[in-house]
Amino acid sequence: MDKVWIAFAAALAVGLPAIATAWAQSRIGAAGAGTLAEKPELTGTIIILVAIPETMVILGFVVAAMILLL
Amino acid sequence: MIIRMAKVELVGPKDDLMGVLDLLRERGTFQPDPLLFGREASVEADLPRTLVLGPEEMHERVFFVELRARVAELLALLPDVPEPQAALQPLPVVDVLHELVDRHLALARSQAEELRGLREEVAALAGALNFWTALAPLWEELPPESNLELFGVTIRDPQQRTVLEEVLREHLGGRCQLSSTLAEDGTLVGLIACERAMAAPLRAALTSERVPELPLPAAVAGLPLAQRISALRALLAERRAALAAGEETLAALGREWRPVYRRALEWLDERLTLYGATSAVYATTRCFVLQGWLAAGEAAPLRERLHQAFAGRVLLEELAILDEELERVPVQLRNPAYFQPFEIFSRLLPLPRYTSFDPTPFIGVFFPVLFGMMLGDVGYGAVLFAIAAPLARRGRGLAGDLGKVLGVAAVYAMFFGVLFGELFGDLGRRWLDLHPWWVERTEAIVPTMLFATSVGVAHVLFGLLLGVWSDWRQHRGREALLRLGLLLVVLLLALVGLGRIFPTPWLATGPLLVGVAVLLPVLSAAGGLLAPLELLKTLGNIISYVRIMAIGLSSALLAVVANQLGGEVGNLLLGILVAGILHAFNLLLGVFAPTVHALRLHYVEFFSKFLDLGGRRFEPFGRAPRSPHEGRQ
Repeated sequence: MDKVWIAFAAALAVGLPAIATAWAQSRIGAAGAGTLAEKPELTGTIIILVAIPETMVILGFVVAAMILLL
Repeated sequence: MIIRMAKVELVGPKDDLMGVLDLLRERGTFQPDPLLFGREASVEADLPRTLVLGPEEMHERVFFVELRARVAELLALLPDVPEPQAALQPLPVVDVLHELVDRHLALARSQAEELRGLREEVAALAGALNFWTALAPLWEELPPESNLELFGVTIRDPQQRTVLEEVLREHLGGRCQLSSTLAEDGTLVGLIACERAMAAPLRAALTSERVPELPLPAAVAGLPLAQRISALRALLAERRAALAAGEETLAALGREWRPVYRRALEWLDERLTLYGATSAVYATTRCFVLQGWLAAGEAAPLRERLHQAFAGRVLLEELAILDEELERVPVQLRNPAYFQPFEIFSRLLPLPRYTSFDPTPFIGVFFPVLFGMMLGDVGYGAVLFAIAAPLARRGRGLAGDLGKVLGVAAVYAMFFGVLFGELFGDLGRRWLDLHPWWVERTEAIVPTMLFATSVGVAHVLFGLLLGVWSDWRQHRGREALLRLGLLLVVLLLALVGLGRIFPTPWLATGPLLVGVAVLLPVLSAAGGLLAPLELLKTLGNIISYVRIMAIGLSSALLAVVANQLGGEVGNLLLGILVAGILHAFNLLLGVFAPTVHALRLHYVEFFSKFLDLGGRRFEPFGRAPRSPHEGRQ
């Protein structure tokens, strides 16, 4: 039963940040696409803005790995 | 690399100004900057003030502007025929050109007007011929009564024909006949025959229903129906011949004079550019002063050239760049051949400031390494290299640059593939008994995670070190102290982590944490309330490098799955096909994901530590706007 809870906790640890990242990227991506239509020179800035929320899911992955492995 | 720029001042007699500007335009290495000349305009003393063109120059400028407008209009009217380059020097013949262009423009205008009328007439005649040719069989069916009036109409669609029939029945009581057919171009055309007495109400009904009646050219309107088509054909042929003759006349004019006017237009543009540049010039009653920027290496050759051209009358002096002017220094980048392809990634960012760093060499060094760590497969690396090699041979350009970047990245992927013992996933181990030189990624998750974090620590610390240096050079003491504090705290925390993994007396946790505690007030003093946030952000940046391991692990596991699925099919050829498709998909992901994430690690985690963006592009006078990256358009 413990294994089930551990697996469930790890899944939550990576799943919830993944959903949050996806939501954030969808909003930033849509706004970024609109911005690029008018100012293509901001490509680098938009990539950075879209990429920023990914840190959440990476942190979630690290926590999940710690739950499973440590 | 950011090219070192020199701030220079050119001084000389006013009479030589246009000559100097022409020389600068030809060389295309100097960017005038009128804002550098900070002295206020004065009308009382003979101090340099903004140059105002004299009446003669103003008259000349207006003359050139008008001439340019007429030459441009003439070139637009002349047909675009292949033209040789005219070796004409327009200045000595500018007055002749001025007279000629008026004559040629009048000729071209009248010819163009005549051609426009002819084209419209030909189009109308062709439409009428098409229409009446389609209607010919219909009127042959009509009774040969002399008091019949015929109307030709265009019908939008069959539905409108039904509506039209109802209207005719309602207004004319059925005392007319409607026939329709399809013309050659697919238009539905109709012929309405009615008594002459009913013509007026019929025309009113057609107008109210918006059914267009096809007008007949006056020349053929009075002819009997049977002769109309042949008359239309003859008229159309005559107009077409006239059109061809008119076009040939204009083309002959273009062949003879277009090269001359093209060269004249170029020369006028150059000349007017010089007048435009005078707005950056300051002058006294006798001398001019011009300040601006050029690459430091260009100052001496330009001084020499000015000395030769103006017999020492025009002087060029290098001035010291003041601290408050550093923001204004334009930026030009030039990189060694190895780094140039990586400019495709650095161009996505705004231009760095003059006092900052060119991001290209950093991307050139670290991007392939991070890419290789993530892909880390000998087989994928070899396939990628085979794809990249032909692309790289294309020379400069997006495809060529991408080929070179992918080629370098593929070599690193093969290198890390050897370390991880991967060849198309676990295929190398199963078929060739390939063993990892270092770790097997699919099993040693914790060591690879720690390795990725270590890479992050090293990369971020290097970024912080560059940031400290950059701040120090620009006399930003507090920022430099904050970055130095962050660097030391991260270093101590990394040593704490190292001490936990490899316990040694040199890496005792207690003293290291005391060191962190001592540094925290320094951080707060330098960064204020934002200092703890900066520290957390930096630690988050380091953990972000775990993505190297995460993406690598997913790529390796997908390759293993591809091999297992291929093996379970039961048929050799089908198994190879299934595995091949999955490996191709994985390779596609394996190119896309590491590229995006390696770039993100640079843009967000690394460059945020030291790079100041928002520099001014170096745009030398006389040269078309171009990329700040030297050696490429």
